[in-house]
Amino acid sequence: MLQFLSRLAPRSPWIYRINAGSCNGCDVEMATAALIPRYDVERLGCKYCGSPRHADVVLISGPLTLRVRDKVLRVFDEIPHPKVTVAVGVCPVSGGCFRDGYSVGADIDHYIPLDVIVPGCPPRPQAIMEGVLKAVEVWRAMIEEGICSPS
Amino acid sequence: MLPFLKIMFRNLMLGPSTDPFPFAPAKTHENFRGCAEFDPEKCILCGICRHVCAAGAIQIRVNEEGTGMQYVLWHNSCVFCGMCAHYCPTGALTMSSNWHLTHLGKDKFSNCISSFIHFGECAQCGAKIQPRPLAIVDKIGTRNPDQFLLCPKCKRESIVKRAAKVHHLPTQENP
Repeated sequence: MLQFLSRLAPRSPWIYRINAGSCNGCDVEMATAALIPRYDVERLGCKYCGSPRHADVVLISGPLTLRVRDKVLRVFDEIPHPKVTVAVGVCPVSGGCFRDGYSVGADIDHYIPLDVIVPGCPPRPQAIMEGVLKAVEVWRAMIEEGICSPS
Repeated sequence: MLPFLKIMFRNLMLGPSTDPFPFAPAKTHENFRGCAEFDPEKCILCGICRHVCAAGAIQIRVNEEGTGMQYVLWHNSCVFCGMCAHYCPTGALTMSSNWHLTHLGKDKFSNCISSFIHFGECAQCGAKIQPRPLAIVDKIGTRNPDQFLLCPKCKRESIVKRAAKVHHLPTQENP
């Protein structure tokens, strides 16, 4: 029964956003992807949720400033296990134009495994949707391999 | 009531406003600035792109044998500002409208333009100089085409020789 449900679950991923010190550009695009009828990720079954405990797909934006680093890691640990991480924008991967700043912790890959990367500064809403769809594929593959089986 | 009916009929005629992206290609404006494209045939290794790159996405490095330079533009650091394309003297770098850059996390470092550019050779002594592709020869090399393909040393010598010929000064060949 649980296996059947976990196979059904990727049809409606619940998305959670983490702002790791982003400049708000990527956050605006992520909100745009959900709220504006032109893009509308909700027609693909996605839903933005407010609690990390409900999330399946995590969108992370921002270069992980040192001030929020511990809070981001705490929130990330609260997300239950079958989770797929999507880095939105170039900041989480390389720091973008904030690279080598005194308060920048990028590459975020040192702390959190990134499954999908959507480069852009900021990426288009369509590109974010593309990233979410790819994350769902990764999630399906994880279920096939039994990585996120209940134990 | 009537204005509302007008709006309703117009919306019915226009159809849905949703971009059918995952099921059909998205509308992209032709001037949309997406990822950079690089033409190694036109690059003269001047390094102005690396100098103006705000995000430090471009790296140009001499290889171990010293035969050329490895040019790397990492898309995961590029912020699409387009300064490199604006300042590129030969048009080797251009901004395309391609925004399909989504990739898996394990391909993080392979999401880049990486190409090797050989150095040019001096037409006289064969020393290594910056490459002289047609794009830059057409632009600034037409005034003195014989000097343009020389290394700095040979160029200096040829300039001195020409000056000596004009002013009838003694040179090493005819003292």
